[in-house]
Amino acid sequence: MNLKDCHNFGDFRKLAKKKLPSPIFHYIDGAADDEITYARNTSAFDDVDLVPNVLRGVENVDLSTTIFGKKLDLPFYLAPTALQRLFHYDGERAVGKAAKKFNTMFGVSALATVSVEEISAMIDTPKMFQFYFHKDRGLNDSCLERAKAAKFDVMALTVDTITGGNRERDLRTGFTSPPKLTLSSLFSFATKPMWGINYLTKGKFELPHLQDFVKEGTSTNSSIGSYFSTMLDQSMNWKDAEKLCSQWGGHFALKGIMSVEDAKKAVDIGCTGIMVSNHGGRQLDGSRSPFDQLAEIVDAVGDKLDVICEGGIHRGTHMLKALSLGAKACSGGRLYLYALAAAGQAGVERALNQYKTELQRDMKLMGCTKISDLNRSNLRFRG
Amino acid sequence: MSLSNCYNFDDFRKLAKKKLPAPIFHYIDGGADDEVTMNRNTDSFNECDLIPNILNSVGEPDLKTEVFGTKMDMPIFLSPTAMQSLYHPDGDKASARAAEKFGTIYSMSTMASFSIEEIANLSSGPKIFQLYIHKDQSITNDLIDRCKRANFNGMCITVDTIVAGNRERDHRTGFTTPPKFTLDSLMSFAMRPQWVFNYFTHKKFELANLKDKVDKGTNIAQSVMGYINEQYDPAMNWKDAEYCIKKWDGPIALKGVMSIDDAKRAIDIGCTAIMISNHGGRQLDGSRSPFDQVKAIRDAVGDKLEVILDGGVRRGTHVLKALAAGATACSFGKAFLFSLGAGGQQGVERLLQNMHDEIRRNMILMGCKSIKDLDESKIIYRR
Ligand SMILES: Cc1cc2nc3c(=O)[nH]c(=O)nc-3n(C[C@H](O)[C@H](O)[C@H](O)COP(=O)(O)O)c2cc1C
Ligand SMILES: Cc1cc2nc3c(=O)[nH]c(=O)nc-3n(C[C@H](O)[C@H](O)[C@H](O)COP(=O)(O)O)c2cc1C
Repeated sequence: MNLKDCHNFGDFRKLAKKKLPSPIFHYIDGAADDEITYARNTSAFDDVDLVPNVLRGVENVDLSTTIFGKKLDLPFYLAPTALQRLFHYDGERAVGKAAKKFNTMFGVSALATVSVEEISAMIDTPKMFQFYFHKDRGLNDSCLERAKAAKFDVMALTVDTITGGNRERDLRTGFTSPPKLTLSSLFSFATKPMWGINYLTKGKFELPHLQDFVKEGTSTNSSIGSYFSTMLDQSMNWKDAEKLCSQWGGHFALKGIMSVEDAKKAVDIGCTGIMVSNHGGRQLDGSRSPFDQLAEIVDAVGDKLDVICEGGIHRGTHMLKALSLGAKACSGGRLYLYALAAAGQAGVERALNQYKTELQRDMKLMGCTKISDLNRSNLRFRG
Repeated sequence: MSLSNCYNFDDFRKLAKKKLPAPIFHYIDGGADDEVTMNRNTDSFNECDLIPNILNSVGEPDLKTEVFGTKMDMPIFLSPTAMQSLYHPDGDKASARAAEKFGTIYSMSTMASFSIEEIANLSSGPKIFQLYIHKDQSITNDLIDRCKRANFNGMCITVDTIVAGNRERDHRTGFTTPPKFTLDSLMSFAMRPQWVFNYFTHKKFELANLKDKVDKGTNIAQSVMGYINEQYDPAMNWKDAEYCIKKWDGPIALKGVMSIDDAKRAIDIGCTAIMISNHGGRQLDGSRSPFDQVKAIRDAVGDKLEVILDGGVRRGTHVLKALAAGATACSFGKAFLFSLGAGGQQGVERLLQNMHDEIRRNMILMGCKSIKDLDESKIIYRR
């Protein structure tokens, strides 16, 4: 199997599984507890059907959408994800260049393995910096100032990770701190020599946004779970978010909103967008899926800020459904991460191109030529 | 596989399966008839989603709650279960000690392998006694008097077991009256010499609370189904329950209430609590699951009763959903029995630690500072 055999999400996932040592694959592929929410994030889309309109003259389809004051050529973007150089040695460099090619937003994690300065020198297309609120205020200020200086367009504060989720696959594979590699995970590193060679030869692995502040920053060994639980500030509240929002002074979003009440508060503190998200099912298992919760949130705040539906998206039709319900755009992590692991920049480009092609095809089949044509009359909920 | 690899229900179950002779494993693991109710007890939690609130400065959440007039450090306790020394030679001693360590309730079955007095001497933690109403009223009276003397905190009268359920796995493995072990099940004893060794070298198997009263108390298989059918009073009625409640004159629950009418009637006869339960799906197959019924019962009884959800609980998030739907606390049977079978007191402690951590972590992710923050606004039932 290689890149040209990858025609959908499942194919990229399979190829990534072949290429990555198993602890790393399962870090991407896994989620919290019984992974019920993770599965529901995608299956929620199957409870609603699309109802097309015919004979509409749909030769030219315009997929562009505007969020956070930026026009994107696609109605979806790449959600911020940590540690991308573990998945492919080019990491954020590969993802950023692919995002630029398709003119969509590139989300850069606070736990990125390439610095905001380098990314901003590399691409001039829309960029979002994802912020974690640390106990160490010096670290917070440094992240904010660097993202500002690097001219990032949007800041997204992640609010669903004040403590680490229970990712049981990581416990079993030994993706923890200190690393508890099991015999089978050691074996899986040994059987993926290319990954190991690239990891050791393509430049030191670092977390450039954190490394001046913590020793965790220099080692891949400390687990993400313990980073959340020990370094992030569990007492973070609305005042803190409001302060951050004004300190940033530009487009500001909360990532991980699920309740209508919180969506309204986001408007009050000056947010210009929210990501309806449960972190891809990686945090609170049993949490509602973004798509299930989307309509209520759009109804409450959709005219006041950009509502983004994030998580579980595997198909162009999933995006059409979310956009029809009123999301301004969609975003996802795994929808490009497996492709990154499978083949670096070429992989991400192939994946983005497939989603684009699917969207164009399905828009035509729906009888729509622009994103604003999509609305709830296109949908019927089952049962 | 060892205890340190056990992260969740399935892991403990697997390890217990390895350690226990098949008839004994299946006695714990099985339910009535087609086990539809047993499975539904857990599945029902998946049709309801949690809605977290963010930026709530949760800090360290308070997991304390109170039932049976007793403070508990976490909102889940051990259900009463028969013959625990079959699962581990330390039996009830192990579970009572583990419960005490975690500040939660140990419940003693009428058919416990250690006596009321033995356990009272060993643990000063919170304890309740599960009472079966016997045809011979002097047995019932004796049990109540002894619990009083031993300072048990509360009592529950099991009302769903006036006749033994049809546990077909027990027929097949030969866990019947009289025992009819098949070649397979004999083999499974032979292949677990450690269990057999423990069984013959530890205290003689007996129904410790009943041995002076009835001669049935010393034979494993005779003691379960046969005992239920011969000694329990199928003519038991509300008057009998009221008699016991008056005689006990302390915190007391009916265990096995499923209908709204019966829940209301429990108030009238002086109960302080009910346990919504179908005996873990071991009695009436096709019966509704506790979680499906809890909201309606809470709505009907208001704050006049403590409502305990018993059955199907495997995860911290299940507890959160139960509390949000109206339960005061939860209890679980199978989950802790597997941990007992897997590793005795250490096993139960590991399970309670996992459960505690899950509840704590997920309270934080939900934005809840204390148990009472969990209300109906935190859940949405799927269409
Ligand atoms: C491997 C991985 C790493 C992630 N790292 C971060 C992160 O550092 N910060 C963050 O806010 N979200 C992170 N996320 C969550 C994503 O931003 C996004 O919410 C999630 O992937 C959406 O679900 P999906 O993967 O089903 O599309 C991560 C997700 C994955 C899969
Ligand atoms: C092996 C076993 C023995 C049990 N023995 C008793 C008992 O003696 N008295 C009683 O009231 N309930 C008994 N139960 C039922 C439990 O108290 C409880 O209602 C049930 O286990 C809850 O369901 P769960 O196992 O899904 O948590 C027993 C359950 C099991 C699994």
